[in-house]
Amino acid sequence: MTNRHLALTATAALLFMLATATTAAPPAPEAAYTAMSPEELADYLIFEAGGFDLDAQTQDGGTARERMTQDRTQKVCSAIARSGKDLDRATAAKISALADDSIEYPDGGVELGDWKRGEEIARSGYGYRIGHRVDDHDSRTPGGNCYACHQLDPNEIAYGTVGPSLTGYGRLRGASDAMLKHTYQILYNPNLFFPCTTMPRFGHHGTLTQAQIADVMAYLLDPESPVNQEPPKTADAEQAAAD
Amino acid sequence: MPRRSALAAGMAATLTLPVLAGDLRAPEDVLQTLIDDNESAYLTQSEQNIMMMPDNAALWTAEEGKELFFEARGPNNESLETCDLGKGPGVVDGAYVELPRFFEDTGRVMDLESRLVYCMTSIQGFAPDDPEVKQRHGSDSDMMKLQTFIASRSSGLPWNPPMDHPLEQAMRDAGEVLFYRRAGTSDFSCSTCHTNTGNRIRASVLPSINQPHEWTKAISWPAFRVGHQQVRSSNHRIRGCYWQMRQPQSIPGSEAAIALMSFWTDAARGAPAILPDKKR
Repeated sequence: MTNRHLALTATAALLFMLATATTAAPPAPEAAYTAMSPEELADYLIFEAGGFDLDAQTQDGGTARERMTQDRTQKVCSAIARSGKDLDRATAAKISALADDSIEYPDGGVELGDWKRGEEIARSGYGYRIGHRVDDHDSRTPGGNCYACHQLDPNEIAYGTVGPSLTGYGRLRGASDAMLKHTYQILYNPNLFFPCTTMPRFGHHGTLTQAQIADVMAYLLDPESPVNQEPPKTADAEQAAAD
Repeated sequence: MPRRSALAAGMAATLTLPVLAGDLRAPEDVLQTLIDDNESAYLTQSEQNIMMMPDNAALWTAEEGKELFFEARGPNNESLETCDLGKGPGVVDGAYVELPRFFEDTGRVMDLESRLVYCMTSIQGFAPDDPEVKQRHGSDSDMMKLQTFIASRSSGLPWNPPMDHPLEQAMRDAGEVLFYRRAGTSDFSCSTCHTNTGNRIRASVLPSINQPHEWTKAISWPAFRVGHQQVRSSNHRIRGCYWQMRQPQSIPGSEAAIALMSFWTDAARGAPAILPDKKR
């Protein structure tokens, strides 16, 4: 927090005390609010003006306040998105370098896990939600919610389209060591290759463990996985082939 | 933006043309016009919901809200007919599409819910902890009934939140920061989902803030949510989105929630409100 922000926060707090001391009416925050930049005011509304239940406990043993505190990547990527501009190359390189530094690799090297467990993770949107209904990680393992944004198994029709289709991911790319590492890196911190992507940093945040990432990788890359089976033949397709 | 005096702002308010009952349009007609005039996977995703719009259960909630509004209630045994929702005491028609807005008497920018709380406590004498005020969710709550009635009296009118007062502009701009602000264990922000046009999360098509014909439906609350079988409010939507984003619970009536609504309403400026709406 900058000194300027601290001073503004103090001003707002003082106005509040004055207002509550002299009348029962709510405070008049005009002077304090209009003196702040939009970013400063947003932070003030979140952290000082009771906008959120910040003292709630989180599943990872922290507080909701920490959830709202941005790291460098979040801060930079938010500002870029709000500006509506394309990411410039220098900033993209910085975000990518931050991602590179964040990635920890498994001790025994990058290997595929179990695609069946990976499928459960891909389908499950459970985990890390707080507030009025807190996800209980003791009763249910958090998932990765891949289907919210990606197509995977060609037989699943309820897939999102915010991210690219990953149907046939392994069939199209093979499962070389380089591809295994590449896929691990994307799941751990996709900003390495796609700076300011909307995709979460599953490994960096620890919302998926290294073992879970290996399972999701198997779902993507194992030739036995439904993701890598030929799409089902529909009646229309068969008719078209016959014509 | 030039600062306007309170007097000038007050005069401008009285000079605004009154909304005539004929200006209001049935929500199903508003939606159909938007569908006819635009190509939108979001607007057309549920044929069943579109078909059921004229039988929207929220219409009953609005009727119940109308009775509550005119009923003498609370320790002061007063109706809400002297409640100023921004267009003068007791003016309900067209008030909702001009919220949130700055109120001279509180010195704050307020949304419909916080303004109703203010009127129910200051005019009717309810305590903030009385169930009439405290219970915010569910079709059976006074708050949802009143909100649905007031909002329905803006159906078909273009969203037009005032930006004349410096605080209105400041809150809208802070709301924009909040909307794009990525945080938490999934790096999500509102914009993660709501800057997509025609894309889905699982099977649900997302509304885009960049498409006013979609965004007006997205922010048209109260709406009957078929999946909940309840009428829901803007604040309920915000709570749900922050929950999905893995971020802390939003507090209704807080400046942060109002700032977010100031921005999202400004983003739908000019597009006609669909009130009450029906959503999945």
